[in-house]
Amino acid sequence: MNNISLNVLNGNGAATEPLNVNDCLLQLYEEHYELEDYQKGVPRWCTGCGDNAILTAVQRLCRDEALPPEKTVFVSGIGCSSRLPHYMNTYGFHSLHGRALPVAEGIRLARPDLKVFVNMGDGDCCSIGAAHWIHAIRYNMNMTAMLHDNNIYGLTKKQASPTSPIGLKTNTTPRGSYLDALNPLTVTLGVSNVSFVAQVVDWIPKLLYQTIQAAYHHKGFAFIRVIQRCPEWLPTHMEAYMQDPTRVLLLHHENGLHVDDELAKRYTKMQEHDPSDINRAREIASGSDPIPVGILYRNDEVPCYEDVRFDSRLRTTSLVKNGLEAEFDKFTIWPDGHAHVSRN
Amino acid sequence: MEVKAQDQIAFYLTGHHNGSGLLPLTNRSYRPALFARHADLTALRYDFPLILNVEGPPERAVLSLSGLVDEAVDALQNDADRDRIAQHGYQLERELRRGLSGHHTTGTVLDFATMWNKAAAKLGKEDATIADSAKRLWMLFKANGELVDVDFALPSRVVRHVWNVVQADKARIFHERADRLVLKLHSILDAEAAGSNAGRSPEKLRSGLAGQSGTSFSTTFNFDAMSRILVGAKPSQNLSETRRRRIQSVLDTIERQHFHAPASKTDTPLHSFAFYRCASALQAYKERRNEAIELLKAMAIAELEVSGEYREAGSGKGVADHDAIFADFGVGGIDASMLATLPDYLVCQNSSELGAEETLEIVEALSTGLPVRVLVQTDDLLEPSGISRASLAAPERHLALASRSRHMLDTAIGLTDVFVLQSSAAQLFRLQNAMLRGMSYAGPCFFSVFSGSTGHNGDVPAYLVAAAATESRAFPSIVFDPSAGSDWATRLVVDSNPSPHDPWPVYPFEYESGTLEMHSEDLAFTLADFMAMDERYGEQFAIVPQSGWSDVMTTISDSLSNSKTSKGQVNGRTGLPNAVPCISLVDGEGRLQRAIVNRRALEETRRSQSMWRSLQELGGINNSHARIAELRADERFASQITSNPATTATPVQPAKAQAAIPVLSEPVTASDIAVSITAESHGDDPYIETPRCTTCNECTQVNDKLFVYNAERQASIGDVTAGTFRQLVEAAEGCQVSIIHPGKPRNLKEPGIEDLMKRAAQFN
Repeated sequence: MNNISLNVLNGNGAATEPLNVNDCLLQLYEEHYELEDYQKGVPRWCTGCGDNAILTAVQRLCRDEALPPEKTVFVSGIGCSSRLPHYMNTYGFHSLHGRALPVAEGIRLARPDLKVFVNMGDGDCCSIGAAHWIHAIRYNMNMTAMLHDNNIYGLTKKQASPTSPIGLKTNTTPRGSYLDALNPLTVTLGVSNVSFVAQVVDWIPKLLYQTIQAAYHHKGFAFIRVIQRCPEWLPTHMEAYMQDPTRVLLLHHENGLHVDDELAKRYTKMQEHDPSDINRAREIASGSDPIPVGILYRNDEVPCYEDVRFDSRLRTTSLVKNGLEAEFDKFTIWPDGHAHVSRN
Repeated sequence: MEVKAQDQIAFYLTGHHNGSGLLPLTNRSYRPALFARHADLTALRYDFPLILNVEGPPERAVLSLSGLVDEAVDALQNDADRDRIAQHGYQLERELRRGLSGHHTTGTVLDFATMWNKAAAKLGKEDATIADSAKRLWMLFKANGELVDVDFALPSRVVRHVWNVVQADKARIFHERADRLVLKLHSILDAEAAGSNAGRSPEKLRSGLAGQSGTSFSTTFNFDAMSRILVGAKPSQNLSETRRRRIQSVLDTIERQHFHAPASKTDTPLHSFAFYRCASALQAYKERRNEAIELLKAMAIAELEVSGEYREAGSGKGVADHDAIFADFGVGGIDASMLATLPDYLVCQNSSELGAEETLEIVEALSTGLPVRVLVQTDDLLEPSGISRASLAAPERHLALASRSRHMLDTAIGLTDVFVLQSSAAQLFRLQNAMLRGMSYAGPCFFSVFSGSTGHNGDVPAYLVAAAATESRAFPSIVFDPSAGSDWATRLVVDSNPSPHDPWPVYPFEYESGTLEMHSEDLAFTLADFMAMDERYGEQFAIVPQSGWSDVMTTISDSLSNSKTSKGQVNGRTGLPNAVPCISLVDGEGRLQRAIVNRRALEETRRSQSMWRSLQELGGINNSHARIAELRADERFASQITSNPATTATPVQPAKAQAAIPVLSEPVTASDIAVSITAESHGDDPYIETPRCTTCNECTQVNDKLFVYNAERQASIGDVTAGTFRQLVEAAEGCQVSIIHPGKPRNLKEPGIEDLMKRAAQFN
């Protein structure tokens, strides 16, 4: 059988050996997926919840990019949005509150061949997980992080979150929220090594998909804030924005999102924005009405942590075993049952 | 799976020629199987060559050699030598085709009479009676001019010739009118001069009579007495000075015009109206505009003067005077029908020269409404699209499919008042009536012609390449005539394409097997067949020797009409195709060959089919709106019959849709109709703006049969009969992005229907 050479890349981006015909067919056969290949279970989110739109968008992305389910992992923290990995027929990690990002970073380091997606709520990311968030931006590891921002803690029945606007009455702020909301975009844009920042709304599915797709193709930490509805606790909170297309500002550019005629007809307020301009990105990020939608900032030159610290050794089973043995050898078990740390 | 089949599927999917026996289509002697009978074009009788006739009316501007010979033979109906002359005529035809075949790439101008005599002389060496037949046929032809075959120069030659003929006809009509007016205006002035004192002087009378008769009456006739009588009896009213000056001015303008060539030679320089750029044509128009206005004004005044209807200022109360009207003549523009009396501007360009600037110039010229005729000639239909020309390997190239000329064509049709004609060079003769209509159209006109001279088809004659472009739908024939009617069905005509109602033309193909058995099959001629003729796309095909023909090989038309090649079942999972598309070819020795088409070429073929489908719809063929309307009407009719059996006694046929040709190409299901309604036509039926659906499950929780998710998990109307109007209204109210439109209720007896209709109104 003759060899044919296809540019197939492994997880590290290096070309593999040429495949023979049978391997090639097998690969093509396996790379074809349907939407159903990524669906699992019936989402238990409330009807009308914006999480549904995000779930559909990532499932479509996986299908269109032909991501093998066994090579894809969704990591989440705690909250409504963090149930997303349950509904993806891929690997998933429903982790601790605020700890989605460190778990995802661990996965990236241990398994650089996996495609990593992170789904966090506004409380999850911007409150208890804020420290991890900031350092995840700085580490710039290759993953797609989605902040499901509905301005409220929904799972715990309407408590104020860091992104709740001032004056919003919640169960923890019955007289209205006292503080100005935290702006996740300006925070992200202020951290060293930031490489990709976008904002989108869940009620424009076409742009939602395009944005997540652009983030997926970005090499580095791609942060997307998805402004979404909570029909249960804040049923009218976003209604004015949804019903009035002029309250959405579409950012478009040849290096950003492309607005087609259909969208342009409905969303007439548009602005050309070059995503390489960080100062302008910060100005746009400061605005909240109309909601800027699109890619605010993008810099493909920022190095990724896993590339800088890449361990060139092949991670074989024996390597892992030897490493573990070496660690275990540091301990000595005495007859009295107590462990003593070796001083060697 | 057998190894052979696996190799074939691998090629289809990857485009790599792996496995034994799969070879790229690099042998240029291979041609589509349907061309097997066309190996030697000189042996066939068909439209070409053409005679660009300079004798006769515009309707006979372009003549086919075969048609001309047939006409002449028909005229010999009762002649004893008819059969002999006919046979010789066919021989001469063939000789002319042979003679022309050496000039295809040179674009040399060949005279019909010279070529005819040359052929007659050559054949006459073998048979002396041929010269006599040739002479007699020639006398019956009543045609002369250039003899042209399909080559790179044909489109511009034919268009320019037809334009010349139409302009000559226009000039003839203009001069008939102008000469009549000039003669009468001179008569008015002459009569005035004759009626004056000077005109009736004895000297004038004497010279007049002497000059006319050639005899001298001066000695016998008293001219002095005659002059006194005439001067005394002359009319009291003379031609006013104003009118005399006006008539003189009009005469000067008409006699010194630079637009139409007079029948007799003149020293007056004439304007040129043929250009290579639209910008030059428009510039010339602007420079000559005032002159054109003056000429048109002069013609109009002349008509009034001749009929005595010109009213000067103050000639009557309450009646508008012509002085005022003509003072403002042309200020607000010139009427298209008036401009039509002047020569049209002709611009001939090649699509390879069309950059952004030239394209804009053409759009500007077409959108002015001026009688400009623009020809854009395309030589290479299958050039890779601009973005991929250099950077991508062949399998990744996206075909432009004449994107530049098509872009112009779409724009021209979109302007709605431009006459548009698209044709390959092979079809040009068949469409000459449409071309003439375009040339005579009182407005702009756009011609898009594919020459067939691509330079990438080896020794395949340009005629076959051009014909293949039409057959394969790569360059369909289109006529868009704004003057034909007010709707698309009458304006846009695509009937001149082969098998216009079908996706592809299908022809029976017979061949003999190695055991001398006759086989027959129907072959469609598709874009893939057209691509196979192009040397640049040989890698997209893999020749399979007969020993390797397997069950997975299917015709490309079958592949396009079902999903076998896009999906298959392997181990219970989708992904691997279980069939590969093939085309049939013949090699240089006439043996049948099969070639697998790779996925890339198949997708291009599918794209071409889709373009043709859209064109069919615009042309009123298989129109989906009409089809749905007809089905609805049938359904309504059926339901009326069911609900009221009494009506069956006097059945009334439902009103048919207003489609030109509503042909059902395939069965339509209820879901098809639902999808079509959602996408295109809403009427009173409920619909959802599916692309805007956020998959929030609101509606599907109301009724998951009435509202269903599509493959993208976005909602659309499923079975409208599976739910109530109330559910539609409640879903619309619950939809946070307001994309559900309940339409009108199907059942007016539903409880609370009035209230529901009020609630629904805000969403419709």
